[in-house]
Formats: sequence, C-alpha cells, structure tokens
Amino acid sequence: MALHAQKLGYDGTALVLNSKDYKDKSAIIKAVQSIKNNLHHDCPFQIKVGLEIQARNPADLKKQVQKYRDKVDVILVHGGDLKINRAATEEPRIDILCHPYRNRYDGGINHVLAVKAAENKVSIEINLKYFLLTRPNQRYRVLSQFRQIVKLQRKYKFPLIITSDADSVYDLRHPQDIIALASCFGMTNDEVIHSLSSVPHDIINRNKIRKQIILPGVRLFNNGDPGS
Amino acid sequence: MKLKILPTHLREKKRYLAFQAISEIPLERDDVISLILGASGDLYGAYGTSKLGLWVVKFWKYPLSENNRVNGIIRCNRDEINSARAVIPTITRFKGKRVVFQTLGISGTIKGAITNFIKLKTADE
Repeated sequence: MALHAQKLGYDGTALVLNSKDYKDKSAIIKAVQSIKNNLHHDCPFQIKVGLEIQARNPADLKKQVQKYRDKVDVILVHGGDLKINRAATEEPRIDILCHPYRNRYDGGINHVLAVKAAENKVSIEINLKYFLLTRPNQRYRVLSQFRQIVKLQRKYKFPLIITSDADSVYDLRHPQDIIALASCFGMTNDEVIHSLSSVPHDIINRNKIRKQIILPGVRLFNNGDPGS
Repeated sequence: MKLKILPTHLREKKRYLAFQAISEIPLERDDVISLILGASGDLYGAYGTSKLGLWVVKFWKYPLSENNRVNGIIRCNRDEINSARAVIPTITRFKGKRVVFQTLGISGTIKGAITNFIKLKTADE
C-alpha cells in the first residue's frame, strides 16, 4: 500500500494503531522496516507511527494520553462523543481529533470547541473514508457536517487535516481528486493544499521538538542557551 | 437521414480525463459506464449530471496484472472539469466488492491523454 501511495505522489504516511493492538508493536515495527527497504531510495518517504485512543470518558482519555505520549509519533483521539470531543480539544498533547461528527447529526464541534482547538493546536480531521463509505442516500448529511466544520475553520483558524484513513489500496485517492472532491463541501484549492501538506508537516515538526518544550513558549536548547 | 455535424463553434467543448481503476473482480466497459454515471447521479442528481456530459470513450483491460487493473479515458465538458473530477473518487463499491478509481491526468485530446498519461507501450511491456 505504501508503494502505491508513493506512486500517487504522497511524501509519507502515518501508520495508526488501535490502543488494543499496541502490545504487538515490535512485530509491526519489523514489518515497517521491511517496507522501507523495498521503497525507492532516491525520494524520501516517511512512515510515522500513530495511535488512535478510544477513551470511555475524559479521565480515561487523559490517562491514556499520559501513557502513550512519548512512545508514538502522532496521537489521535477517536471522537464522536461530545464529552470526548471537548476533552480532546482542551488537551495540547493531542495532535488530531478524529471524526468529531461520527454517528451524529451535527458537526460535533461548536464555536467553543473551535476556539479551544485553535488555542491548543489540535487538528480536526476530515475523514474521506467516512464520507465515501457512507450510503449514497446519507451522504448529504456528511457533506453538510464537513461544510459546517469548514465554516468554523475559516472563522477560528484551527488546523484542519484531510485524511484518507486507508487500510488498503482501495481507500487511496489521488491528491488532485481530493482537491476536486473537497470543492463539493466548499473548500478552495489553497485551503485543501494547506490541509493536505502543511498541517501534517507542522504536526511532525512540533512533535520533534516536543520534549524540549518546558512551558508553552519556552524551549530548552541542548547547549544550555536559554531559548525563548 | 443522418444529422449534419455541428459547426465547430457550436459544438460542446470537451476535456479528456485519463483514469486507472483497480478492483477485486474484473471490470467491463459497460460496468465502468454504469459505475461512473451512477456515482455522478448520487453526488449531483439528474440535474447536475446532465451538465457534466460524462462518457467513457476509451477503455483498456490488463487481465494479467494484479488487482484487475483497467485504464480508460472519460470525456466531460470543459467548463465542468472540476465537478467531473470530483465524481471519480466517490466510487467505492461494485457488486459488493471494493473498487478504486484514480485520475492520471487531464488532456484536451484523446491522443494527448494516451501519450502523456496512459502510456500504452510501456504498460504492454
């Protein structure tokens, strides 16, 4: 699948695990290494490991974030429940809130959560698989949810990320196709390109320096210089 | 009696989308046409689909390749190229099995689409 993604012009993928599968991590990392050896060496293709947290309540969520934060590259939260959505947007250690609109009739986030997400730099996910695998007579609902999120994003400027959530080659789409599809829920070309490339890039860069950050805005440098 | 062909300035202006599809079961040309028109009907309805002018003009099958790969060219109206392109990724299932369509590129002529995106000779080798 990674080979296929590279053919389509992607620079990298994140391999997202469920917290229950986490114990088999060593086997998975071996598989990733063998895939990396098969890739063409002339262009860099990154594979990051992520973890999707399925929490029962906000306290459970905090506990799991604390447990896994240093162990994986990207932390995602399985959204959909209002309390989980709220707790996830208030937690700066979380990178992505997945499908806050899952099994709901509204967008799952309102102006309060949008402000919080912008403050804590939690990305809100637009999940293409959720849209594509919904039955055609229900798709209008997903489109209107996406449109509501895009509307909030324009006003409050929280990071918005478009993901494929692919588990086989049948879920991968060409980036230009995604741009065309996103115009269906009212995003412009530049916004789509931003959320497909810059936002994931920012997340990776932020997680690289996360250990050096002591307080918000204060960063520890190795040579002892006070950072600011 | 056959109708006389329209003068060039009155014809619909068109663009050609080269695509490739992979699926779990083999696809025929008629299947591809019904899939694309059905997906367009689901996304835009009868009114929107009528404006796109979608049709599958060329179709190649590679039965020996893994995943039943097919390539083809879709014709659509020049003004609606973006909305036509949005139809392609919405196709997910065919007879209960997984299928995926990916566009390779857009061209103004069939010949250009074949030489630039389908690349018949390299695919045959």
